[in-house]
Amino acid sequence: MLEVDHVHKEFGSVRAVRDVHFTIPDGTTFGLLGPNGAGKTTTMRMILGILTPDGGAVRWNGQPVHANTRKHFGYLPEERGIYGKMKVRDQIAYFGKLHGMREPSLGQEVDRWIERLGITQYADRPCAELSKGNQQKVQVACAAVHRPQLLVLDEPFSGLDPVNADILLAILRELQSNGTALVLSSHQMWQLEDLCDRFCIIADGENRASGTLEELRSVFPTRVVRIGDTHGTSEINVPATTDFAAMLRELVSTKPITRFEAVEPSLHEIYLHAIGGSAA
Amino acid sequence: MNMTDLQTVFAAEFLRRIRSRAFVIGMAIGVVGILTFTKLPALIGNAFAGSSTIVLIGDETLTSPAEALLKSDYDIAAKLPAGTIVTQAVLRTNKAAAALTLSKTRQGITVAVDARDPSAMRRADIKRDLLPLQLSLATGKTTAQVNALTSIPITIKTIGSKFSNSNQAQQVKGIAYMLIFFLYILILLNSQLVTSSVAEEKTSRIAELLVASVDPATLLAGKILAGTAIAVVQMLIWIAAGVLTGGSPGTSQTADANAMFSLSQIFDVLTPLVIVAFLAFFVLGMLQLCTIFAALASLINRTEDLGSITGPLTIPVVGALFIAIAALGSPGAPWIVTCSFVPILSPFVMFARIAVSNVPAWQVVLALAINLGALYGIALFAGKVYRVGMLLYGRTPKLSQVWNVIRS
Ligand SMILES: Nc1ncnc2c1ncn2[C@@H]1O[C@H](COP(=O)(O)OP(=O)(O)O)[C@@H](O)[C@H]1O
Ligand SMILES: [Mg+2]
Repeated sequence: MLEVDHVHKEFGSVRAVRDVHFTIPDGTTFGLLGPNGAGKTTTMRMILGILTPDGGAVRWNGQPVHANTRKHFGYLPEERGIYGKMKVRDQIAYFGKLHGMREPSLGQEVDRWIERLGITQYADRPCAELSKGNQQKVQVACAAVHRPQLLVLDEPFSGLDPVNADILLAILRELQSNGTALVLSSHQMWQLEDLCDRFCIIADGENRASGTLEELRSVFPTRVVRIGDTHGTSEINVPATTDFAAMLRELVSTKPITRFEAVEPSLHEIYLHAIGGSAA
Repeated sequence: MNMTDLQTVFAAEFLRRIRSRAFVIGMAIGVVGILTFTKLPALIGNAFAGSSTIVLIGDETLTSPAEALLKSDYDIAAKLPAGTIVTQAVLRTNKAAAALTLSKTRQGITVAVDARDPSAMRRADIKRDLLPLQLSLATGKTTAQVNALTSIPITIKTIGSKFSNSNQAQQVKGIAYMLIFFLYILILLNSQLVTSSVAEEKTSRIAELLVASVDPATLLAGKILAGTAIAVVQMLIWIAAGVLTGGSPGTSQTADANAMFSLSQIFDVLTPLVIVAFLAFFVLGMLQLCTIFAALASLINRTEDLGSITGPLTIPVVGALFIAIAALGSPGAPWIVTCSFVPILSPFVMFARIAVSNVPAWQVVLALAINLGALYGIALFAGKVYRVGMLLYGRTPKLSQVWNVIRS
C-alpha cells in the first residue's frame, strides 16, 4: 500500500504542492486528476523519490520509501525520452537491469514485452528509427519490464493517437489483472474514468476531492433533476439532500408530468466543481 | 551508492562508448598520429637519402682511404678513375647527388665538388672527414694511426639532474612532451564525450526515467568512471602502438640517428615511478575534469548550449598544457612548483616535473593528496548540481540560480 501523507514541496517562491494526501491499496488503480500546474507531476516525482518532500511523507507498506523499495516501482514520465542510438532490445534490457533484473529472466521478459507490443521486427533496430507510436511502446516496456508492484504513469494518454491509446489501455488492463497497482495522472477526466478504482482531484497543489466514483458522487452538493411535461423537458439544480420522492409527489399534484429523473453527476462535473476557479 | 547499479551504468556506458564511431575514429587518428610521430624521421631520412650518395673520382691511392673516412657520413656509390669528367649522366647512372674529385698537390689533397644541389654539401663535414688523410700524407703515418692521434674522448656529465648524460635528458624530454600531449588530448577528448553523454540524456529527456530508478550520484559516478576507463584503454593502445612501431628498426641508419628519440628505448628512461605517476595523475586529472564537465552538462537543455557552458572550462586545461611544457624546461622554477600543487593544473605540471627532475617524494604525495581532496570536493558539488540539473527544464539557468539551489 502506498501512502502519500500530506506532502508539500516548494521551488523557491513557487508552492508546487501545498498539501496532497491519498492512499493506494495494493493492486488498485488510482487516478490523480487536476488542471495543468496543479502539482501532479511534482507529486509523482515525490512518490518516486526523484524529489524529496519539504514536509509530509511517502510510505510504502508503512515504511519510508528507500532506494531498494523504488526498485519495485516503475515510472513513465510525462516527458518521455529514449536513447536514439540504442537498440530496442538493449534499451528495455538496460532498464530491466537498473531495476535489479538479471539473466536469464531478463532476456525472457524483454522478449515477452517485445512480442506483446508487436515490435518484434524492430527488436534489433536503433530506437530512433521507430515511429513515434512504437517508441511510446518501448517506453512503456522500459517502465514495466521488471513487473513493478507500483507503476506510475504521468499523463500516459496525452499525445497518443486513438489506435495507440487503445493499445496502451489494453496493456494497462493486463497489468491491472496481474495485480500491479497503477497511478495515472491526467487533466482530462474521461481518459481515466473507466480505468480507475479511486481518484484524487487536486488543484493549486491541494486535495480538492478524493475517493471512489460513488464516494465522490455522494458528497457532490447538487443534483440535476430532469422534468418532462407537455411543454418539453427542463433541468433544474437542487441540493443533493433533496427528498426526491416528496419532490415528485409535489410536482405531480400541480401539473401532468411525463418524465422525472434525478441525474447522478458525471466525473467531469465532479471534476469541474472540485477544481472550482482553477483553469480546467 | 548502490554497487550493482554502478556496475550496470558503468558497463552500459563503457560499451556504448567503445562501440561508438567517435571512439573508433579517435583511436584510428591517434594511431596514425603516433606512427607518423615515430616513423616520420625515418621516412624523411629516406626521402633525402639521395643527397648523401656520392661518387669519388681520383687516384686509387686517394679514393680508397677517402672512402673509409667518408663512409660514416656518405654512401659511396662508386669510385671512378682519375680524369673522369663529371657530367649529369655520371651522377644519374650512379644515383648520386654529388661527385668528389680528389687530387694530390704539394700542399696535400684538394677536393672539387660537383653537386646537383651545392647547398646540400657541407664543406665542414667533408673537411673533418678527410683531415686524417691530409695528415697521413703530410706525416707519413697511416690514416689509422692519425685517427687514433686525433680522436679525443669527450664525456659530458650533468650535475643535479636525474639523467646520466645530455642525450638521455633529451630523449626523456621528448617522451615526456609526448605523454603530456597524450594526457591533454585524452583528458579533453574523453571529458567531452562524458559531457555529451550527460547532455544527450538531458536533452532526450530520458534523464527523469533514469533518476527514478538510479540514484543520481551513482549514475554520475558510473559515467565518469566509464569515461576514465575508456581514456585509459585508449592511452594503453596508443602507447602499445608507439612501442611496437618504435621498436622495429628504422630503414635508414642516418635517419634513425637523427630521430628525436626512439620509442624502443622508452623503458630505459621511463622508470616505474614515472609510469605510475603518469597513470595516477592522468586518472586524477581525468576524474576532476569529467566530474565538473558532467555536472555542468546536466544544466543545459539544448545540445547547442553545451559549448557555451563547458567552453570556459577548457581554458584552464589549455593553460595547464602550456605550464607543463614550460615545466619540462625549468622544472624547479618556483611558480612551476607552485602550479604543480594546484588542482586541475597539478596532474599536468607535477607529471612534467617528475618526468624531468627529481621531485622529493613528499611533494608527490602532497600533490596526490591535494588532488584527491579536490576531487572529493568537486564530486560533492557536482552531485548536487547534477541532481538538480537533470530535472531543470526550461531555459538554461543562470549560475546564480544554480548556486541558490545548491545552497538550499
Ligand atoms: N523544477 C521546478 N522548478 C520550479 N518550479 C516548478 C518545478 N517543477 C514544477 N514547478 C512548478 O510547480 C507547479 C506544479 O507543477 P507540476 O507538478 O508540473 O504540475 P502538473 O503536473 O499538475 O501540471 C507549476 O506551477 C510549475 O511551474
Ligand atoms: Mg505534469
